[in-house]
Amino acid sequence: MKYFTNTLKTLLLVGLGIGASSCEDYLDINVDPNNPTVAPLSGLMANASFETGNNVQDLGGITSFYVQYLASPNPASSTDIQDEVAYDDTWFNMYNIMTDLSDLELQAEEAGATDYLGVAKIIKALNLGMTIDMWGDIPYNDAFFAQTLNPTYDDDEALYGEVQQLLDEGIAQLQLGTSTFTVGDDDFIFGGDIAQWLKTAHALKARYLLHLSETAQYDPQAVLAQVDQGLSSPEDDAQVDYYEEENNPWSIVAQNNADLLLGGWISEQLIEAMDGTTYGYVDPRQPLMYGTTNTGSFVGTTNGAGRGDAPEQGARSTLVEDSYYAQETAPILIFTFFEQKFIEAEAALDAGDRNRAYQAYLFGIGAHMLKIGVAETDIEAYLNSPAVAVGAANLTEALIYKEKYIAMFLHPETWVDARRYDYQYENMTLPANHNPSLNGQFIRRLVYPDSETTRNGSNVPDVSLADPLWWDQ
Amino acid sequence: MKHFFYPLAVILGMGLLSAQALAQNRTVSGTVTSLDNNETLPGVNVLLQGTSTGTVTDIDGNYRISVNSEDAVLLFSFIGYEAQEQPVGNRSEVNVALQPSIEQLSEVVVTSFGIEQEKEALGYAVQELQAEELSQAKQPNLINALQGRVAGVQITSAGGAPGMSSRIIIRGITSLDPNANNQPLFVVDGVPIDNSTIESEGSPRGASNRVADLNPNDIESLNVLKGAAATALYGVRAANGAVIITTKTGKAGQMKVNINSSVGFEAINSYPNFQERYGQGFSGDYNDTDFWPSWGAPVPAVQVIEPDHQYYDNTRNTMRTGKQIDNTVSISGGNESATFYASFANLQQDGVMPFSDWGRTSAKLSGKVSMGDRLDVTGSINYINSGGNRVPHDRMMERLMYWANTQDVDDYINPDGTQHTYGNTNPIYDARFATYEDNVNRSIGNLNLNYRPTDWFSIQYRIGTDFYSDQRTEILPGPIGIEGETPLSSTGFIEERRINSRDINSTLNLTFNHTFDEKLDASLRLGNDIFDRSRNELNSRGDEFVIPQFYNLGNTTQIATGQDLNERRLVGVYGDLLLNYDNFLYLNITGRNDWSSTLPAENRSFFYPSVNLGFVFTEVMEASNILSYGKFRASYAEVGKDANPYSTAITYTSPDIFPLNGQVGFTRNSVFGTPDLKPERTASVELGADLRFWNNRLSLDVTWYKSNSRDQIIPVPVSNATGFSRLITNAGEIENQGIELILGATPLQTADFSWDVSLNFSRNRNRVVEIREGIETIVIGDQFGYASSTVTMRLIEGDAYGNLYGRSYERYYPNGAPEDLNVLDADRPLLISSSGSDAGFPIINSDQLVLGNAQPDWVGGIRNTFDYKGWNLSFLIDARMGIDQFDQYNNFYSAFGKLDYSLNRNDVVTFDGVLEDGSPNTQEVWLGQGIGPEGRDYSAGFYRNYYRGSSENFVKDASYIKLRNISLGYTLPRNWLDATPFSMASLTATANNIILWTPWNGFDPESFSAGAGGNATAFTGLGYPGVRSLFFTLNLTL
Repeated sequence: MKYFTNTLKTLLLVGLGIGASSCEDYLDINVDPNNPTVAPLSGLMANASFETGNNVQDLGGITSFYVQYLASPNPASSTDIQDEVAYDDTWFNMYNIMTDLSDLELQAEEAGATDYLGVAKIIKALNLGMTIDMWGDIPYNDAFFAQTLNPTYDDDEALYGEVQQLLDEGIAQLQLGTSTFTVGDDDFIFGGDIAQWLKTAHALKARYLLHLSETAQYDPQAVLAQVDQGLSSPEDDAQVDYYEEENNPWSIVAQNNADLLLGGWISEQLIEAMDGTTYGYVDPRQPLMYGTTNTGSFVGTTNGAGRGDAPEQGARSTLVEDSYYAQETAPILIFTFFEQKFIEAEAALDAGDRNRAYQAYLFGIGAHMLKIGVAETDIEAYLNSPAVAVGAANLTEALIYKEKYIAMFLHPETWVDARRYDYQYENMTLPANHNPSLNGQFIRRLVYPDSETTRNGSNVPDVSLADPLWWDQ
Repeated sequence: MKHFFYPLAVILGMGLLSAQALAQNRTVSGTVTSLDNNETLPGVNVLLQGTSTGTVTDIDGNYRISVNSEDAVLLFSFIGYEAQEQPVGNRSEVNVALQPSIEQLSEVVVTSFGIEQEKEALGYAVQELQAEELSQAKQPNLINALQGRVAGVQITSAGGAPGMSSRIIIRGITSLDPNANNQPLFVVDGVPIDNSTIESEGSPRGASNRVADLNPNDIESLNVLKGAAATALYGVRAANGAVIITTKTGKAGQMKVNINSSVGFEAINSYPNFQERYGQGFSGDYNDTDFWPSWGAPVPAVQVIEPDHQYYDNTRNTMRTGKQIDNTVSISGGNESATFYASFANLQQDGVMPFSDWGRTSAKLSGKVSMGDRLDVTGSINYINSGGNRVPHDRMMERLMYWANTQDVDDYINPDGTQHTYGNTNPIYDARFATYEDNVNRSIGNLNLNYRPTDWFSIQYRIGTDFYSDQRTEILPGPIGIEGETPLSSTGFIEERRINSRDINSTLNLTFNHTFDEKLDASLRLGNDIFDRSRNELNSRGDEFVIPQFYNLGNTTQIATGQDLNERRLVGVYGDLLLNYDNFLYLNITGRNDWSSTLPAENRSFFYPSVNLGFVFTEVMEASNILSYGKFRASYAEVGKDANPYSTAITYTSPDIFPLNGQVGFTRNSVFGTPDLKPERTASVELGADLRFWNNRLSLDVTWYKSNSRDQIIPVPVSNATGFSRLITNAGEIENQGIELILGATPLQTADFSWDVSLNFSRNRNRVVEIREGIETIVIGDQFGYASSTVTMRLIEGDAYGNLYGRSYERYYPNGAPEDLNVLDADRPLLISSSGSDAGFPIINSDQLVLGNAQPDWVGGIRNTFDYKGWNLSFLIDARMGIDQFDQYNNFYSAFGKLDYSLNRNDVVTFDGVLEDGSPNTQEVWLGQGIGPEGRDYSAGFYRNYYRGSSENFVKDASYIKLRNISLGYTLPRNWLDATPFSMASLTATANNIILWTPWNGFDPESFSAGAGGNATAFTGLGYPGVRSLFFTLNLTL
């Protein structure tokens, strides 16, 4: 057949006297007019910085069920009962942004744009850290540039070193002050304020060093040293603002819920932690964080149980659009001054500096209350209430975790805390219909997404939901 | 002969009718023989000229007819023979010997590039439909007219909306790419035209496929080229087959005006069985503001307190009778040097869903001028305007789902124009005000020059154009501004979409003919073909209206605009050599080389050959009374396929959220086009036979084929960690293998009466041979089901295209379910939960198992046509068997307690199944909601907690047998028309889709939500329900 084919082809081409070259120009039109082959530094920065906010929310949308901020209105909903769920979209989003940041790094380096390079490394460190904390081992060294179509998985402990290194490199770049291009409004987090990025880098170093609290590598002094160079005030909060055209994703959850696409229902666990049931006093933040029933009370939904006979609307507390977190233009909080204060409190307590710990604990609570708009008199009253104002000598890890839990509402960092704290929050119980394969244990990690098991199966580590991450010992 | 015809008549379910000759003054008889072998000819028509009196020869060739005068002339005619006239004179015996026609069997079919070829010479299968059959189908969308009539072709209508798209697949799906176009190329008068379906971006609206723009009344014939051998000359663009359309032309010498008018009515042909007992509320409690439409109290119970309370059949009440008016006027004629055809047509259609409509106005002019014997110039221009309001049918049906059984859906609007509702959105209000209108202006034209300088050489050049603009406007109103209103949206939006498309085709053919000796004819064609497409699209969306009810982009607070440009060019050269040895052996060799703009420069040139052989074996064997004609066909063909434009680079894109706060962000596209992409290849083998018996009274055409598409250009899903999610590369193979059978018979033929039967059957076996190492599956699409019962259509190596995966009830395996369990074994006993809140209920298996497959086992159709004097009756029955679909309707209905099976909601039952230890389940459970009779809390009840969450309850056999079309026509006798200016008048009544047999419970299973552009055909969605229709047509010729 081959010979026949070739002969026929030759005859044909000679017969018509047409060579391939005559139409080359005519056919050279395959340059995509819709999508450029190069993206500007500022374009990559704009998308990566904005989407990092969405990534924090995306992860929060999963972890909020595990730490029982939220509960599903449907019984035995997979995430709510800690079933194996393959979070393909989330995995994609994390890698998508880390990929763009890798491109940004290359381009910035080539252009001598050290500020872009520094910021890119810090944002990448954050996304990398968050991804490791969800899944453990993940592809990194083989990743982002299609070096191989079957990237191998890197050890999560080694990747924790990579997070710190990226932050160090980011800091070093930002300290050069030689950038050929200046970061500006394309940075949706700080609008190009390099000083704030430097503080955030140190604060993130503190966060990821604190994650080691259950390991032998844990050094509370090192955490405190980074905290000292971290955020100086709530003004330095790393957050992404949302717009009329692009609403805060939690507000979309609230809007959908109002339109009967149910979601954003508040867990009984959180309600009871704030309405006096668990701790004996009422938290003034309740009305600022979520809605009431038609009768004006705060009623949670039991995790895993669904809403039972309750109607779709009006009988349970849910995220609502006029709360702090679910307004259309509310920011997504990435790293806040109050989180840093709780990190400081925990590290200082571990380092034996009770006074520093206690001050930081009170500051953390107060900063969060200010952030979401609690009246000053209410803040004062709360901070002076006997159960909160225990004094430095009586400060416990439990108190820090409890207050951090409320302050970090919807934030994925709480799942890291919950695992480090072995879910020892007061009255926290397993959800109804709990995934039997966990044998009564709380979930410790996510399973890998289907996209990985079906496309890169030979490299995907064999893990179960009950396997702790390396720092969770 | 009798032995044959009687059983055939019985098989085909019709009693044998005999014609009777009317007694006249004098009887003439005789015998008819064939001149070439002196054998007698049965079934020859004998007609008394100028009358409608006639008869037919018997088995021995004898006839007997009465004549009334000595001037009488008898007309003898028979297929395959020259007709003969015999003046009777005073003879009482008239014997005739008929001359075999020289044109015998030389049916001419139109193949690639409008080339007319004798069907005898073809080494591959083609199937042709004539104007009459197409117009009889009464389908505004030409593609639907092919339904059930062509072997090897599968038509799937997206639904019953006016102008809605319909999908055509010839010999199976050939691509692993979920977004690939698997449909054939459409060619009108030698020029390929666009048949894209560009769906709406939001809620499904049922856009048209662009072939729906053609007026079926303009079409003379339609020919389906099925295999690669048939389409080899068209190359890349006809890799999925081709549909060759020839339009009507004028005939020299006669000026003809034809008027074709029809009016039609349609209604939904099948509804699900609704329950009429339970009304609004939950847990059996009545609540007239509740969200729940039908989990409430029994209607009669509530009527005791509220006499006005009643059940409304809201689904039927929402629908209306669809109407259609279709008029075509055509004028044709000419003289020996010039002919023309002109038509003007208008179609207006109102669908069964309120506010859905579509119309088409077309004007066509074509002509041919011959300058002497050597030069012809032909040209055609067709202008079309089409479009309508596409209701959000999916959303409407969803809202109808939520609408309470005991609230009148027709009471949808308040006097001030605001929505009337008890809480939920009223589907009719939404359909009325949430509009989506398209307006297509299109012109299709071609110009041909045909020059024959000598007898052995001709040159032909053709240029064809297909231009259209498609303007779409979607409006969702915001609040009107009246206190207390329930608006459809708190902001509202308007979206303007403008699509401009331009195709140009240029074709040059040089044809050489030579007769080497008496026996060997050769014809060589060399050609060049250029295709050039440019499409651009602009979208602009404005959100939040400032002034209520003023729908203009300038009246919105946020505007977002997007653009998409697309260009594709293809240059091909080809050669086609046809050798004819003594009119019984035909050898055809073709080769084509393409250069495609969409492939990398170094791989853009690709060549593919085909060879086919036709052997008319009856020419070389002893003449037979039984087998009048027999031909074997064999072919081998390859065809290449290029990529989609812009598939060979790494690019960046700006996500939709930008511009935001003055910034434009970019992200790397997650699709990675490999720069070394090469063309994909399909190789196919085809064998066939064309057999005709008893002078063509029976014909049988059988084809077997196998085609393998290799090196597919597919977006292979890759690990997202690579920085991409899909890699466009050459990988994978898919195989289609099948048989096609076309049977034609004329069981009865007399002068006045004839009965023709045509039957087609096709069976395609499709297999995904290979995807790519490390890639287990490709997802074609999925569709939402409640409680995680979403069903996914996937490709798996070794299986047929379109396995349907979903959740199922867990089955009992004595030693535990096998690790690698992949397919649901529905025959095994259900596993019933023995303890906890689920005790007594089936357990839902959350692992995804294969629940069915979306490829039919076979499709077929049978058409009977009866002609008696001026009467014509035909009916077409078609079938599609062994196909599974996901019934999203049923999934929703079960969640809301709307269908009759949920009437058992208050029963106490024991599920038939076994517990984990293998012992039979004995636990009684209540199916209702809330606290059961024995005090146990059943929360949301069986249907919501279990039934709706098991996809297997909704992946069902969607086979059907339909009385697709029945048509009764009467052509008025000519003498009735003597006093009128008309030379012909006929009246036809046609009914479509009036009998449906199917195991499916619900709307017509023949609709799917993806639209013809998609491949996920197994999902009904909440699609526009199918319809049955009735038409009355008047056809007049001046």
